[in-house]
Amino acid sequence: MASLGQGTRVFKVSEETIEHLFPNLRKDSYFIASPETIDYNCIAWAAGNSEKWWWPDPQNQYFWPPGIPREETIEAFVKAYELLGYSICQNPEYENGFEKIAIYVDSIGRPTHVARQLSSARWTSKLGKLEDIEHTLDGLAGSKYGYVAVIMKRSK
Amino acid sequence: MTYVRSRITKVDIADIADIADIDIINTAVSKESSLIQDEYKRSVAHYLIPFSRQWSNPFIRFSTLKVEWEVDTAHLSSITEIAIHPAYQQIIGMGPIAIPLILSEMKRKPGHWFWALKSITGEDPVLPEQTGQITQMTEAWLRWGKEQGYLR
Repeated sequence: MASLGQGTRVFKVSEETIEHLFPNLRKDSYFIASPETIDYNCIAWAAGNSEKWWWPDPQNQYFWPPGIPREETIEAFVKAYELLGYSICQNPEYENGFEKIAIYVDSIGRPTHVARQLSSARWTSKLGKLEDIEHTLDGLAGSKYGYVAVIMKRSK
Repeated sequence: MTYVRSRITKVDIADIADIADIDIINTAVSKESSLIQDEYKRSVAHYLIPFSRQWSNPFIRFSTLKVEWEVDTAHLSSITEIAIHPAYQQIIGMGPIAIPLILSEMKRKPGHWFWALKSITGEDPVLPEQTGQITQMTEAWLRWGKEQGYLR
């Protein structure tokens, strides 16, 4: 059950939707951190951007860092975050002085989602055009986003 | 009740479409209100009009497909996954008749309609520096829609 503070009524519909999509969230505590918006997505949010929707779409309609292949592959996503100073690491645990991201992939290895670690050691995610939530990594694992395939980190 | 229903079934399709126009000016509705309004419209349409006629009406067909698409893809970041959803592909398959319906919906609420519009029209009025900026992309298409006479 989400722990909700102010704005509980505003998020009630979303809470039910989110828990239906990601049943693992019911096991751990999570909370909705902001209202839904279509202005940005998880890829942008993990990169620290809340003004653009990032995706390597073949129609070139959405933002993707220049010079990075417009491919829905883990390699292209890793390269995109390497541009921002991240490098691959093995450990998702919180490390002082570092900021981490986690890239989720589906059953055939295509990136589906990216989460960013907060200084509280929890993770922040923008769920498509829905809300931002704070959660555990396992909370979003499952049939919708798949599983975490890559952890990356950079110095703060 | 039977009497009411028999009278209401004579409601012109345009009357149902008018409900959408009401939405356009409701720019400050909450998420809950919007959901209730969408469900209300769907239930009214289901009650008033036989399904065979509903599906042959572009507005009702578009509205039904739109709701299905939005519910199924709201959590996705992948534009590819969002655009290959069967309901979205059926909207693209409606062809030019879907253009004013999409533009009216965009005017009411921004959404990922860019792929569909580009596929149907073969055009893309969004400038390269606007890519990924939903508000600016939406404004570019609405401007295009006015220039082409699809919107007032």
